[in-house]
Amino acid sequence: MTLTIAATSLREIGRRRAALLLVIALPLAFYAARADQQGQAIRFLALGVGWAVATLSLFSHVNSRHLDRRLTVVGASPSALLIGRQAALAATGLAMAAGYFGLIALTQDVERLWAVAVLLVTTVLIAAPLGAVVSLVLPRELEGALALLAVMATQMLADPEGTLAKALPLWSTRELAAYAVDPVGGEYFERGLLHFAVVVVLCSAAAWTAAVVRLRPQALPQPAP
Amino acid sequence: MNAAEWHAACDRRLAELGVDPREARRLADDSAAEALASGLHPAELFGPATAYATSLASAARQPLAAPLARARGPVVLRLAGVTKRYRRREVLRGVDLVLRGGEVAAVVGANGSGKSTLLGVCAGSVKASGGTVERAARIGYAPQQHGVAPYLTPDEHFRLFGAVHGMGARKAVATGTRLAAGLGWRPRDTVAGKLSGGTQQKLNVVLGELDRPDLILLDEPYQGFDQDSYLDLWAQVYAWRDAGAGVLVVTHLLHDLDKVDHVLELQGSEDR
Repeated sequence: MTLTIAATSLREIGRRRAALLLVIALPLAFYAARADQQGQAIRFLALGVGWAVATLSLFSHVNSRHLDRRLTVVGASPSALLIGRQAALAATGLAMAAGYFGLIALTQDVERLWAVAVLLVTTVLIAAPLGAVVSLVLPRELEGALALLAVMATQMLADPEGTLAKALPLWSTRELAAYAVDPVGGEYFERGLLHFAVVVVLCSAAAWTAAVVRLRPQALPQPAP
Repeated sequence: MNAAEWHAACDRRLAELGVDPREARRLADDSAAEALASGLHPAELFGPATAYATSLASAARQPLAAPLARARGPVVLRLAGVTKRYRRREVLRGVDLVLRGGEVAAVVGANGSGKSTLLGVCAGSVKASGGTVERAARIGYAPQQHGVAPYLTPDEHFRLFGAVHGMGARKAVATGTRLAAGLGWRPRDTVAGKLSGGTQQKLNVVLGELDRPDLILLDEPYQGFDQDSYLDLWAQVYAWRDAGAGVLVVTHLLHDLDKVDHVLELQGSEDR
């Protein structure tokens, strides 16, 4: 069932062509705006990928909420629905990340190119469940999009060394970007991966809990004949 | 439109209405032959091709296979003193119903009287504030709104719902297509968002019966239906009933009520 849900979700995402184009354009616009400064360009590109995937995830989960509730009423598992939809979103995000990795490889002379791949993959893997969490807590598109805007804009503006930035979900993206681009030590990579691991576990657990709470139907006893 | 074009339009419309293509061709050929024998243009004899095809399709359509004998089965839904409150507003008060397999119950009431809420309570998507709800495990549920995904085709819906019921993709599509034909509709490779409101509703209803459930919950399933589709729907309801399923239908069309086993009238909180 999970595979069918993932395949179905991929088709749904693929058919929202205008939304997909905008999602792809967002990181590109960030990248182009800072193309003259390598470090900033890659940082902003990665944050743009995270923002785009989280927004896609938010809209995908909000739009499928009614159908998912109907499916759980007739026997679908909320976990399978969440995992299937997340798999489709992660696949879409990773495909986009692969394209942008190619763009960076072609247009930039990066100190540690392999770390850019790690940076983009970890960003996508955080963004997909992050969008799900927001959609399940704020089940309307506008409110959810504004919440993501607040989180991402703060992430971009906050001092990376400050507590606020570290409490936000994509701090790992900034650390891993620094490791990929700047001549810094391995501690940036380790801190980034550790933060990624904590955030991805927290987001996934929160998304799963919220999905089960919101989608699980009432357990009704069978009537005696 | 010449006679050949009339013939082709009739054939095409019959196929669109879910008539088996061979049967559609035979009906169209018979009509053309009859017109030829009478020496009249088919449009003069039968009227517009699409309208005549619609009448032919209604006459040709057979009810889905169902045993003729009607027997009451075990209880599939039992509501006892069900209440539902949203904060201070009481939506349902003391609702009682016993529905057996082989029976149809209609839920009626004014707008805002809690009909859809009651269906949600029966489905398990809404928690009752009080009373007891017992129902069969295998249910079909067609909600009034948001029952289909606008970016999926009917076949993709069938595969998705089929997967939930443990059906293979081929079987799910074949079953969905067969059930759609009973409602005078042949699914095409078009996403649901581009279907008319009535056709979306047919898809909604078909998804609710894909797994031959023991209890079928329908929330105003005929919205957007034309007269023939409406009659087809009730033929389907009786076919499910005769096959042993219990059917709970939310309706506001009072002339349906003499054909059902139970009528549950809900009163809105402002009417009490």
